[in-house]
Amino acid sequence: MAEVATESRTLSGPGPGERPPRAKGVSEKGLGRLFVTPAIGLMVLVALFPVIYAFVVSLRAYTGRQYEGFAGFENYSEALNDDKFWASLQFTFTFTVISVGAEFIIGLGFALLMNQAFRGRGITRAAILVPWVIPTVIAAQMWFFMFNVNPGFINSALGLGEFNWLGESGWVKFAVIFADVWKTAPFVALLLLAGLQTIPTDVYESARVDGANAWQRFWHITLPLLRPAIFVALLFRTIEALRVYDLPQVMTGGAFDTESLSMVVQQYVVKTPDPGLGSALSTITFAIILGIGVIFVSLLGRELVIGRKDQ
Amino acid sequence: MSATTAGTGRTRRRSRGAVESSTSARAWAKTALLAFIFLWCLFPFFWLIMTSFKVQGALNSANLFDGPFGLANYRNVFNQDFHLNLRNSLVIATMTTILCVVIGSLAAYAIARLPLKRKILLLTGVLAVSLFPPVALVPPLYELWRTLGLLNTYEGLYIPYTSFTLPLTIFILTTFFAAIPKELEEAAKMDGASPFKTFYRVILPLAAPGVFAAAIIIFVSAWNEFLLANTFAPRDPEVAQTVPVAISLFTGAVDFQRPIGSITAACVVVTIPMIIVALAFQKRIIAGLTAGSLKG
Repeated sequence: MAEVATESRTLSGPGPGERPPRAKGVSEKGLGRLFVTPAIGLMVLVALFPVIYAFVVSLRAYTGRQYEGFAGFENYSEALNDDKFWASLQFTFTFTVISVGAEFIIGLGFALLMNQAFRGRGITRAAILVPWVIPTVIAAQMWFFMFNVNPGFINSALGLGEFNWLGESGWVKFAVIFADVWKTAPFVALLLLAGLQTIPTDVYESARVDGANAWQRFWHITLPLLRPAIFVALLFRTIEALRVYDLPQVMTGGAFDTESLSMVVQQYVVKTPDPGLGSALSTITFAIILGIGVIFVSLLGRELVIGRKDQ
Repeated sequence: MSATTAGTGRTRRRSRGAVESSTSARAWAKTALLAFIFLWCLFPFFWLIMTSFKVQGALNSANLFDGPFGLANYRNVFNQDFHLNLRNSLVIATMTTILCVVIGSLAAYAIARLPLKRKILLLTGVLAVSLFPPVALVPPLYELWRTLGLLNTYEGLYIPYTSFTLPLTIFILTTFFAAIPKELEEAAKMDGASPFKTFYRVILPLAAPGVFAAAIIIFVSAWNEFLLANTFAPRDPEVAQTVPVAISLFTGAVDFQRPIGSITAACVVVTIPMIIVALAFQKRIIAGLTAGSLKG
């Protein structure tokens, strides 16, 4: 949204012709180009170039790290015939759908609650940053030990005895997803709260005068006006969840079908090195995640524009 | 930015009225729910701190108040070179922050204020990089760093961190720069200041709060990064192993058993300063985070 504002501000500024006499030093146009070059250069060099390089490497055959010649698309067919790849894809998607869904619902609840000022609001706003600020690795270790049979904190709190959360195929996924929801739901709440605070009060006042109840106000005013913030939160959370690595790596090491796409790729780099296969997998992962991002932006982005026109 | 601040004031006024009109029972229910959010965020840390002070058999007890308590775990942590990990993380996160702020504020200023061709294309590119999965870089950069001798070095980590955090930095700072009144620049221009001098002397000081907010967010994300750190510098704390990698690898007296005492103690050592930073600068951080995301 601010993008548009920036754009129009620049356009409405004085044209090159109406400027006061040229001051000394670099011109504005030159300075603009000069200022963006380092950023673009670095991003091209360390983000774009490696992705292209990975594609080149993915077409080569290796034994260990030893280059063996051109392989065509053999690495890709090997990757796509690998059960491990499909298992990790399935886990990554399950993880993404459930954790982003839960984070959105919980985050929205938190945000709606915090948007109504009353005692303790300031301190809660501060507390909500805490799960965001700590390293995911720490959250992973913390929840690993809380779920673990020994010392068994969660089991004793729920009266479950010796239930092995981290040793059961389904429940270990629950534990990993729970840890993620714990860490990121407050962050989603923060983004949605910022969106809620941009909704003008008089809209609610007039709805109240018209006799709309709390649910109608939420459904017909809050949700539509919150759409931009919801879109941004969902986009960034979905992309981040698809990249998941830290939590399953530290909590389970990939046991019981909790290996994510990122973990599979990383494994072919260090543990069982195969640059060709690893690059093929990383290229596939890149295509999947960027593809989902683009679909997201084009679907919801259009929705966003239409929604804005309605108002 | 300005919209958010104005929004806060407005909401506060409205909600105060709402609270007065609602029954006190309802207000109590809301306070109870708020307490639930508070506990959600902070209770795990209470568990963490209590566990980190437990020694010997107490570590096997689910009851948080079972002793004996002591400092043995903390001694263990620093016997395992954890101070070196802290040093490495500090250097890498600081370098990332400096590079990102310098490069990012130049780019953000150009995007917010200077005449630039293909601005939309540029912003789309920046957004695309922010969607990049870091794992896509792991195999190619590993090969590249191996050839260039950048594995197990600070540079090997802060260079990719900088390029990955740049999009967010640019989004945050563009919002802050765009919020500065344009008249100030016009006035400087009238006085005959060159465009660069205008940026350096007029705009940058005014954007300082925004730059500070961005700096904290960059620092935190570099400090917390695990995937690249675990791949490019997995071992040696003497060289470049960072805090998250060390915490994921702590070994105990018995193999294949995670030493809960040392791990929780190390977590507390790292967590306490970060919680203090979060609480001390919460307004700035929230402003930065929401500016950065509402931009996308």
